[in-house]
Amino acid sequence: MQPGSLRRLNARLVTVGVLLVVCWIAIGYRLVVVQALEADVYADQGRNQRLQRETLAADRGKIFDRDGRELAVTIDSVTVYANPREIEDPTTVARLLAPLLRMNMLDVLDALTTDGTFAYVARQIESAEADRVREARLPGIYFLTEPKRVYPMGDLAGQVIGFVRADDNVGLEGLEFQYEETLAGTPGELLVERDPYGRTIPQGEYEVVPAEPGSDLVLTIKTEIQFAAAEALERAIERTGAAGGSIVVVDPATGEILAMVNAPTFDPNDRSGADPVLFRNRAVTDAFEPGSTMKLVTISAALEAGIATPDTLYEIPRQLERGDTTFTDATNHPSELTVTGIVAHSSNLGTIMLGEELGARELHRVLYAFGLGQSTGLDFPGETAGLLRTPDDWCETTCIASTSIGYRVSVTTLQMAMVFATVANDGVWVQPHLVREIVDGRGARVPVDPLQRRVVDVGTARSMRAMLEEVVSGGTGAFAAVDGYRVGGKTGTTEKYLYDEQAYSEDDVVASFIGMAPIDDPRVVVAVVLDSPQRDASGGKGAAPVFSEVALAALHQLGVPPDGE
Amino acid sequence: MTAMRVDLSDRRATGRPDYVLIVSVLVLSAIGLLMVFSASAPRLEAEGFSRTSLVIRQSVFVIGGAGVFVATAAASDRSWRLSTPYIFAITVFLLLVVLSPVGVERNGAQRWIPLKVMDLQPSEFAKPAMIMMLAVMLSPADETGISWTRIGRALGLMAVPSVLIFMEPDLGTMLVFTFVAVVMLFTAGTTLRQLVTMLVTGLVVLVMAFQLNLLKEYQLDRLTGFLNSDEHSLTTNYNQNQSQIAIGSGGLFGKGIFNGSQTNLAFVPSQTTDFVFTAVGEQLGFVGSILVLGLYLLVVWRLLIIGVAARDRFGMLVATGVAAMFGFHVFVNIGMAVGLLPVTGLPLPLMSSGGSFYLTVAFSLGVCHAIWTRRSPVPGERRLMG
Repeated sequence: MQPGSLRRLNARLVTVGVLLVVCWIAIGYRLVVVQALEADVYADQGRNQRLQRETLAADRGKIFDRDGRELAVTIDSVTVYANPREIEDPTTVARLLAPLLRMNMLDVLDALTTDGTFAYVARQIESAEADRVREARLPGIYFLTEPKRVYPMGDLAGQVIGFVRADDNVGLEGLEFQYEETLAGTPGELLVERDPYGRTIPQGEYEVVPAEPGSDLVLTIKTEIQFAAAEALERAIERTGAAGGSIVVVDPATGEILAMVNAPTFDPNDRSGADPVLFRNRAVTDAFEPGSTMKLVTISAALEAGIATPDTLYEIPRQLERGDTTFTDATNHPSELTVTGIVAHSSNLGTIMLGEELGARELHRVLYAFGLGQSTGLDFPGETAGLLRTPDDWCETTCIASTSIGYRVSVTTLQMAMVFATVANDGVWVQPHLVREIVDGRGARVPVDPLQRRVVDVGTARSMRAMLEEVVSGGTGAFAAVDGYRVGGKTGTTEKYLYDEQAYSEDDVVASFIGMAPIDDPRVVVAVVLDSPQRDASGGKGAAPVFSEVALAALHQLGVPPDGE
Repeated sequence: MTAMRVDLSDRRATGRPDYVLIVSVLVLSAIGLLMVFSASAPRLEAEGFSRTSLVIRQSVFVIGGAGVFVATAAASDRSWRLSTPYIFAITVFLLLVVLSPVGVERNGAQRWIPLKVMDLQPSEFAKPAMIMMLAVMLSPADETGISWTRIGRALGLMAVPSVLIFMEPDLGTMLVFTFVAVVMLFTAGTTLRQLVTMLVTGLVVLVMAFQLNLLKEYQLDRLTGFLNSDEHSLTTNYNQNQSQIAIGSGGLFGKGIFNGSQTNLAFVPSQTTDFVFTAVGEQLGFVGSILVLGLYLLVVWRLLIIGVAARDRFGMLVATGVAAMFGFHVFVNIGMAVGLLPVTGLPLPLMSSGGSFYLTVAFSLGVCHAIWTRRSPVPGERRLMG
């Protein structure tokens, strides 16, 4: 026994003990750092890890007609998607799935064999259809609810209302596009603590900023008038063999568009395969040379300038030579005509004489005052201003002549409707609009207050209305007559200008009739434009009967009593 | 010098049980069960299992471990010394079975023998077997120290299980082996020169192992991930960051049992096994962590006292070896959880869920307790030979 070595060995055990204590102190130090000094930092990291932000989608506002009929609403639809990784035998699944969805099997197979873990198979289908797929219990096929925009009236006002992108219900065309911000609302936000399994932590933080729903739009459109106009246009196209056409019905006192119809049209609920050209609201986006309807402006300008009265008599020559162009009248009429007669018989030469007497600057001023060559400011995307050249660009020879009878100038159906509406409204132009009221999520209503401006005197406007009545009662617009009402209007027939060929068509015309009723206190202005009618190819024969039909329907719908006589 | 024969028939039983050790072990086991339960219940529920399935299983291991401890402590230290060669042989045999087609592979390591009730992990059992064998080999000594021949023979024998464990591979157990062997050689009385020579040789072997690509890539990744702690939070050291977030979230007093949103809600991976200390840190806070740390220190201190009090060098070396093993596991595991050390995957004794290691620790503590109850009447007075 060696006490010395014994002490030495115990000393080694003590050394081991000291070493372990040092290790413990090191851990203790780290614990002080992690749990005391930097505890907040780590606690924050943990909190950030648990906190999840989620966007709460806002409900898109509805679109109603002026009587509260639904034109665009959002419903819950079912979307079918696949996780291709979970599908072992895509061919079999595709064969079973395709008939349930009424889809092509190869299209389904494409989706099922996509790379990744998510692929749409069919978006926004009806719930009955989705139920059939659910019952099939196919592997790797899942469902999610998506809001879908639907248009209960189908193709009735497709171009006006427009449509949204299926993916995210963002407006792409029409009023859906124009009022995107109003309709979309503000998405909300959900702040919630979740565990790694995605379950909400009950005692965790929870904060919700609710989504602000989009506002509803109440349109100026009256569905019954819209429907009558669409039907009438459809029949007219069948009768005349026209390529298409537009009708605008407007309340002259308020600028409210009661109907806006284009043909051919499309159904915004199912626009697959539809030519995108059909999406255009041609009454607003397409310009044409108006021809004789423009005489209203020229004659108004002459009356306004005081160079003639409705009864001023004019000797009308057989023809007028201007530059290398020979102007003639298309109608037979006496060689002497009053101004009223010029309008009633749609005399080109009489109008040209008045226009030339006015001069380029004055004619241009009045054309511009009536809103030509500028967009009307309708609350609609893609409106064209048409074309009205400044007087400096007018030639010395034919320009005044052409312009005064509606050539060399291009307009939209809406612009021309507003010209007539100005006359109907005793000379005051009211800005046209499609939205009557915006109703926000809390029900607060914001009415639209349109711009107004006087264009011509009340007297001038009344005189013009008397002349327009003459057109229907004893002139070119006889077919525009409406049973029980005194109406007035103006025909127009122009050779169609082919922009592609920079020349007038030899075969095709644009036939139009724009009128108002009742003539003493007009409640509606109806503009009818037919593109390339093959039969009844004039404003008087092609378009005037359509006016008659639509005006009658509109007057009935608005409850306007017949003129006593 | 004539070698004295150890009287192996001297199976006296003296002294009362070491209550400090036993109470500390019981308290740590109880805290462990609580942590395993709170850290596993929500995850099990989310995956559609019973909330208590894991904690019940672990409770069975704890009760089984108590039985192992009582039985082991009841046997005499001399009996344990006599049976050491057989225990060692059986362990080597089991390690061979692991590497045979019977063994199962998980995450690129073949460490388990599948049994009906549990998967056996022989590399855990190898730890006390190796400690006891080393103690047997190193206990004969004279006043001049331990000869190179004896050291060589002891390490040569240790090489057998080491190579088998290296082949699994089980890097963590290798580290434990190395540390325990160094501590035992040191306390056995090797000279400083012998120790330095062995450490240098060991380093050279390690460098050669790197050069020959004997280490797996993920083992290197863990080490490098630790070095760039903040830059790769989503890759290798994700676990460790999560662990520190959980422990740090606990603050001074903790969030309370079942309120640990990080551990209870399964942000921390392996939170009932290697990272069970995160549950302590988050739910019991700094105060709880220090308490647990203190209990562990108490256990290690009692083990070293047993070493001092042992009646022979075998007992002294076994107690020291078990203290080293236990202490190393605790230090490396908690050190990893608090971001002091790289991730190595050593379980926390008495607390991590898992059967093999709990039973191993119970057995090791049982042997030490057998040494304690049969200690020499005068502490430190023991025969130099065996």
